[in-house]
Amino acid sequence: MKPAPFDYVAPGTVAEALDVLAEAGGGATLLAGGQTLMPLLALRMSQPFILVDVNRIEGFRGISHTAESTRVAAGTRQAVALADAEMKGAQPVFNLALSHVGHYQTRNRGTIGGSVSLGEPAAEMPATAVALGAEIEIHSRDRGTRRVKADEFYLGPYMTVLEPDELVTAIHYPRWGADAVTVFREVAQRPGDFALVGLVGRVAIEGGKIARAGLAWFGMGPTPIKARQAEQALIGTALSDIDPRGIAELAIADTDPFTDHHATAHYRRTVGRRIFARTLGEALNIQQAAA
Amino acid sequence: MNAPTGLGTGAQRLIGKRVTRKEDGRLLTGKGTFVDDVAVPGMLHTAFYRSPIARGKILSIDVEEARSLPGVVAVYTAEDLKKRPVVFHTFYMTPGEVPMGPLAEGDVRYVGDPVVMIVAKDRYVAEDAAGLVVVEYDEEDPVVTIADARKGAVVHPTTESNVAQVMGIEDDEDIEEELAKGAHLVTSTVIHQRIAQSPMETRGVVSDPRGEEELVVHITCQSPQLVARWLSLALGLPDMSIRVLAKDVGGSFGLKNHPWREEVAAIVASLLLSRPVKWTEDRLEALTACNQAREQEMTTRVAFDKDGKILAAHADYSSNNGCYPQGADANVAVHMFMWVAYRVPVPGFITRAWYSNTPGLAAYRGPWAMESLAREALFDKAARQMKIDPVDLRRKNLIRRSELPYSTAAGIPVDDMSPAECFDKLLETFDVAKFRREQAEARKQGRYLGLGLSAYVEPTGSAGSMAPMTGELAQLRVEPTGKVTAMMSTHSQGHGTQTTMAQVIADQLGVPYEDVTVFEGDSSRGGFAPGAAGSRQAVLGGGASIKASKLLKEKIQAVAAHLYNANPESVSIENGMVKIAGAEEMTRSLKEVAEIAYGEPMRLPQGMESGLEAQYRYLPPPMTLTSAAHACVVEVDVDTGFVKILRWLCSEDCGMVINPAVVEGQVAGGLAQAIGQVLLEEVHYDERGNPTAATFKDYMLPAITDVPDFEYIHSNIPANNEGGFRGVGEGGAIVGPPTLFNAIADALSPFGELPVSLPVTPSKILDFVEGRSDEAEATPPPVAGTPEPAFDAEAPGASAVLSGALPLSVDGEWQVTMQPPVGPKQEMVATFRTEGGVLTGQLAAPEGTQEFSGTVEGNRLKWEMKVTQPMPITLKYDLTIEGDTLAGTAKLGMFGKAKVSGERIGGAAAAPTPAPAAAPAPVAEAATGPAAIDGNWDVVMKPPVGPEQTMVATFHTDGGTLTGKLDAPEGAQEFSGTVEGNRLKWEMKVTQPMPITLKYDLTIEGDTLSGTAKLGMFGKAKVQGTRAG
Repeated sequence: MKPAPFDYVAPGTVAEALDVLAEAGGGATLLAGGQTLMPLLALRMSQPFILVDVNRIEGFRGISHTAESTRVAAGTRQAVALADAEMKGAQPVFNLALSHVGHYQTRNRGTIGGSVSLGEPAAEMPATAVALGAEIEIHSRDRGTRRVKADEFYLGPYMTVLEPDELVTAIHYPRWGADAVTVFREVAQRPGDFALVGLVGRVAIEGGKIARAGLAWFGMGPTPIKARQAEQALIGTALSDIDPRGIAELAIADTDPFTDHHATAHYRRTVGRRIFARTLGEALNIQQAAA
Repeated sequence: MNAPTGLGTGAQRLIGKRVTRKEDGRLLTGKGTFVDDVAVPGMLHTAFYRSPIARGKILSIDVEEARSLPGVVAVYTAEDLKKRPVVFHTFYMTPGEVPMGPLAEGDVRYVGDPVVMIVAKDRYVAEDAAGLVVVEYDEEDPVVTIADARKGAVVHPTTESNVAQVMGIEDDEDIEEELAKGAHLVTSTVIHQRIAQSPMETRGVVSDPRGEEELVVHITCQSPQLVARWLSLALGLPDMSIRVLAKDVGGSFGLKNHPWREEVAAIVASLLLSRPVKWTEDRLEALTACNQAREQEMTTRVAFDKDGKILAAHADYSSNNGCYPQGADANVAVHMFMWVAYRVPVPGFITRAWYSNTPGLAAYRGPWAMESLAREALFDKAARQMKIDPVDLRRKNLIRRSELPYSTAAGIPVDDMSPAECFDKLLETFDVAKFRREQAEARKQGRYLGLGLSAYVEPTGSAGSMAPMTGELAQLRVEPTGKVTAMMSTHSQGHGTQTTMAQVIADQLGVPYEDVTVFEGDSSRGGFAPGAAGSRQAVLGGGASIKASKLLKEKIQAVAAHLYNANPESVSIENGMVKIAGAEEMTRSLKEVAEIAYGEPMRLPQGMESGLEAQYRYLPPPMTLTSAAHACVVEVDVDTGFVKILRWLCSEDCGMVINPAVVEGQVAGGLAQAIGQVLLEEVHYDERGNPTAATFKDYMLPAITDVPDFEYIHSNIPANNEGGFRGVGEGGAIVGPPTLFNAIADALSPFGELPVSLPVTPSKILDFVEGRSDEAEATPPPVAGTPEPAFDAEAPGASAVLSGALPLSVDGEWQVTMQPPVGPKQEMVATFRTEGGVLTGQLAAPEGTQEFSGTVEGNRLKWEMKVTQPMPITLKYDLTIEGDTLAGTAKLGMFGKAKVSGERIGGAAAAPTPAPAAAPAPVAEAATGPAAIDGNWDVVMKPPVGPEQTMVATFHTDGGTLTGKLDAPEGAQEFSGTVEGNRLKWEMKVTQPMPITLKYDLTIEGDTLSGTAKLGMFGKAKVQGTRAG
């Protein structure tokens, strides 16, 4: 379990990093926190020609807020984001989901950008980005900057729209307002494991009706999955008219779970339906009680 | 409780204290020395090219590109390594059953089978080169599961079938008869998944040859002494001085009992290159190419009487031993140890091990643990079926102190402990009735709570019963500095023996704990011993420490007595000070006495050896029993199938406790493994034999958050050995799985009988709760509350068929002679009375008269009677009457059959005569046939396991009676039996290696004989022989 030979570069700026990526012609791999990549290198499942260490890029870390959104720089350590007091208020479900990523120790190294751009379908951060309607800020030397909506970013397991010469520099999370309820539930065999079934999102309520809903599954298909039908059914519906089980049926209809030796697809669907109905019901009840 | 004998005399009692572990300082600060920490100048590194397929022929191997990579020193195939031939030995120090080498030759037989070994300047280059090896295969369909092994192609061309070993009795009619007598017959099938031992420190070796005379091997292992012996045998290096070192070992759990293929390959490479070579197994190799454990199936049937008392039990066991198991073992221990805590008059079994195209089987903490899972899961199922409280069901059958000494049907003596008391102590702390109320209340709210209970007894401290299981050695000395040094054959893989042995020694000698240093982990210290294996170090190492300390103390007393002109008995040692009773002013430090003992020999008694040294190799009784009873409470979320452990109590009897923290650590570690086995862990292969759990992401070990705080109840009764210690290393891993499984099954009992198929994943639980049996293994769960078909007990006689025979030909008094398989004949008078098909009567023997009742069918009489002397067994008579004579057998429990013959007293045909005494038949009489039998025969017996036995048999025949003698190296034994034509049958009892009855059944053809010897419950041996000239 030793990596195959590779060249190593540690650019100091985004521009330098983009230069390396552009010149490498697809032979470069980015090293951020390394919590996924290092084992893959050791297993020789990843054998890049050039390892581009982005840990020393200036200004690659940090969190900033505007009235509309929160910008999390890609290199921000998970532990730092989790400890950020302002973040807890501005993006409560992000914070909740992040507390389930890996373990205390791995979060000291792992980055938000790494987790979002890796595209593990059972991971919390990609689904959170999809649920909240986040945008992913991407740079390349030759084509400049673009922003991609999270629900258009993921193509399949570990596959995204990122081109080989592109670098994710930040993730922009819209602010949902303090009144929006949080929805989060993860079913994993051990704390820190990838989810067998996971659900994340927020629901905003105005005048007793659902004004906005952003809900996504993880561990329920080849990518994080936006529960579009459920969202549409919720929006505009009065709280008193919501049937969580009915909504859960719609949410499950969008999933495409698989069977592995940890759980069957049937298990994932069955438990998904239940946790969706239970979690949504609880979240909305809490809101009703508070109102 | 007995007062423990032979324990410390020091002012400060150290046995029983939670002292700070001597190992913790270095281990907790990262200063431990594990194999991968060892670096030797000039050391080379290795990597293996491994088979990507489970089964196939090797067509070609191309290593040219690998060999030419800069930094590569050598590239070896199986052919290259043959320059140093290796005979892989089992743990019993006998050659393995199937031919094997360090590398695959001709065929590959599992995914991960090492084919090519690269030796290079570092591990990076070695792995690069391994990636350049090109091997062509002709792939074949693999044998992956036990089911595959039963019907698939043969894994090893040298064996007739995939059966690696079989023991026990197939289609044992006697057991079936006993099982049929129960009011309830309960059947339970257990499917245990394959487990990866997963020690934190993977396997590894640094082999450092120093010329042709000396080999230094650093290897992570359980006993450096045992490994040194193994290497000498396996590598055929009788002339080489082999020193094996293992300072710290990060867990083993049975895996590292002795080296296996890769370690041996690295050692051979070092010898071929005359350079130090290191191999460190990486986690990928550890999870996919290392030997593994468990993967067993077992169906157990137990017959209970209407009150829940066990009448008989039978177990049918199979294990997947993989391709190259560390011994082709069918795990007879499962059957030996299944019924030690409970009374089972008639146990039986059939047990098989199977070869497959998967990594080989190695030991894992409690290798026979399946017995507890099968038994305890069956008890709870039986309790539900019979509607008996599971507590009561166990109590009815647990062996109680008042019954001691007790001998199990398998011959295990239970004489110094009480499993029933251990169980009772558990229930003094845990209120079952209160829990049942909570459970009922919770169910009303849709919450599913469950209680699991288990009890067990295991043999620990194995010694003297198998050649490698020797005593353990303690070599002690008081240094001239006054400090105490111990050189021990014990070895810690986390056991903390440097602490516990120091406690025992300090306690015994009367010196401060801090003054004792224990050295182990080096074969050049101490002497041969198997070290850690089978929960034995507290018993053997502790005993050796006490005995050696006593010897050393005697010497100190003798020296001090001489120096101060005192009586040796008046000399005591307290806290490192040597004192003379009644003369405080004479008190001297041990250092002062030691300085004299070493440096001023003229001040010692005449002729006394200078120095203060002593050693003792302690050999306790062959086994020391440990018992425990556990209770676990869980809540199962039936919406998600998740299990939450709410409480876990352990009541354990490990005798005298040296250090409660160490004992609790051992129990907790075993329970963590139990939780992993029941809920999480599984080595899984797809149908092509590819492992699907290659990392710790997929092979799920329990994490700290999955393991609750355990509550310990020390229910200790000192053992009858030096120190009173019992082994405790494996108990948690043995009793844990049934405890947790039973709790889950109890919680889910409203849904039916949860199949015992591990791991019980959330997915499986949901399938079960929702009645989807298509994905659940084992038998489909029955509808809740519906008992399995149980049949009512038939009272003896109830099934009798009325006979038309003449009662008068039976009724009356008979002179009866019974010849047991061993021992003298018994003369009795029987009185029979018949009425219809019912027989009543009495047997009058010199010891007393006993009544019986049974059946008569025609001229056949059957009855049963219990006797208590010489042991409690049931005798089953089956006699046939012909005129004025009777003949037949009396079955003596599991100990074989006695021949019974008799004559009517005052009968018309003949007057009673004593049975003819066995006398050597004159050779002349042999002309009619027996002559072809009488005389001496050279006989070879081949048991299912172990070496062949060569014996000389002497036969004498007289009519249908056979008498004779078997002469083996261990001794000669007389026997008597029957001869019918050319067929000889006799039974004889042996006591070594265990008390069993051998039933010989031989046929003579000319000058050769052949046949079998049934070895009690352990299967049959093949017997062959030729007439001795």
